[in-house]
Amino acid sequence: MADAQDDAAHLMDDIDPRLLDLLRTRINTFIKWDLVRFFHANPHTADTAENLARYTGRDVRVVEPELRQLAQAGVLEVETLADLRVYTLTADNNTVALLDSFMRACDDRQFRIKAIYHVIRSLRRERERP
Amino acid sequence: MITPRVPTGIAGLDEMLAGGFLPGTANLVEGAPGTGKSTLAMQFIEHGITAHGEPGIILTFEEFPEHLIRDAANFGWDFAAHQAAGRLRVIQTSPEVTLADVRRTSGRLETLIEQIGARRVVVDSLSHFERLAADPVELRLLGFELINALKRMGLTAVLTRENPALLGETSEGDDDLAYVVDSYLLLRYVEIESAVHKALLVLKQRGSGHATDIRQYAITARGLEVRSRFAGTHGIMSGTPVMTHTEAFAAAFLTPGKK
Repeated sequence: MADAQDDAAHLMDDIDPRLLDLLRTRINTFIKWDLVRFFHANPHTADTAENLARYTGRDVRVVEPELRQLAQAGVLEVETLADLRVYTLTADNNTVALLDSFMRACDDRQFRIKAIYHVIRSLRRERERP
Repeated sequence: MITPRVPTGIAGLDEMLAGGFLPGTANLVEGAPGTGKSTLAMQFIEHGITAHGEPGIILTFEEFPEHLIRDAANFGWDFAAHQAAGRLRVIQTSPEVTLADVRRTSGRLETLIEQIGARRVVVDSLSHFERLAADPVELRLLGFELINALKRMGLTAVLTRENPALLGETSEGDDDLAYVVDSYLLLRYVEIESAVHKALLVLKQRGSGHATDIRQYAITARGLEVRSRFAGTHGIMSGTPVMTHTEAFAAAFLTPGKK
């Protein structure tokens, strides 16, 4: 079992280290992946968790913590307007360029399979954490 | 003295508006789904950028910018290039965020207007404000607040609003906002001889004359085209017009092949 996991882990070896790091530390769930895809495709979005959940067809209770983590990771920015927490894509050009590389890499099926594998591993590790 | 105008770029429509909208005004475009409200609004932005060098902003509360940009491309309008060149910003947001933003000093929208030198704005669509207030008076005040904020920022605005009635009269009480805006354009479906046509009417234009007849229009590969007025029928805005007495007589007795 451990060997099989190690073999599978080798699949990640040829991924651009910057993208691998992005997958390990920032886009480590499918919901984050969806949100990043949405913000990448619609980069001037400025909205609340409730509306972003609606746009991505998900439950706000699930989406809000993920948005918060993306903001903590510097992928998004969050601003408080009156009593609203408004999320926008980061203005940091390096991060935007990295996300652009990630989304372009996702056009390749082989990359997507590897990325999906990695996210599943991250989720499993999270679930198994005591 | 000639009053400056903000042309829409839609030939027949600009003629109906005596040259275009007045600068710094809020202009409501209302119609049923598929009547071309968003197309008209996009054409207004495209024309501003390409023909007058006036950058624009589109605030979309429903359609995602990526889809709107794709739809624009189908008419030959390269919104992606406009965005890349800093002449256009398509923003996905919501009424509550927009209101909270325009209420503060130097908010996100105001800063963006300064940055790109925006002169035109589209809000698509105002119908989404309805979820902010059930009370029509409060709703009207919210609309008034947004419109005044856009005017304060020096923008000429096209605001779209959905009208659920595909054909026939609209229900009373739907037109509170009509008092607040500077011009009010109505796009309607009209059934004539078992075929659906599209009709456009300028209901009002504050501070300016405008055409009062009802014109036919079509959504073509280049956007909206306003054509001739409906002739030989009356009751167009009811959605199911009837022929005038003269036309009915001609159809019954004079048209070749009819008995």
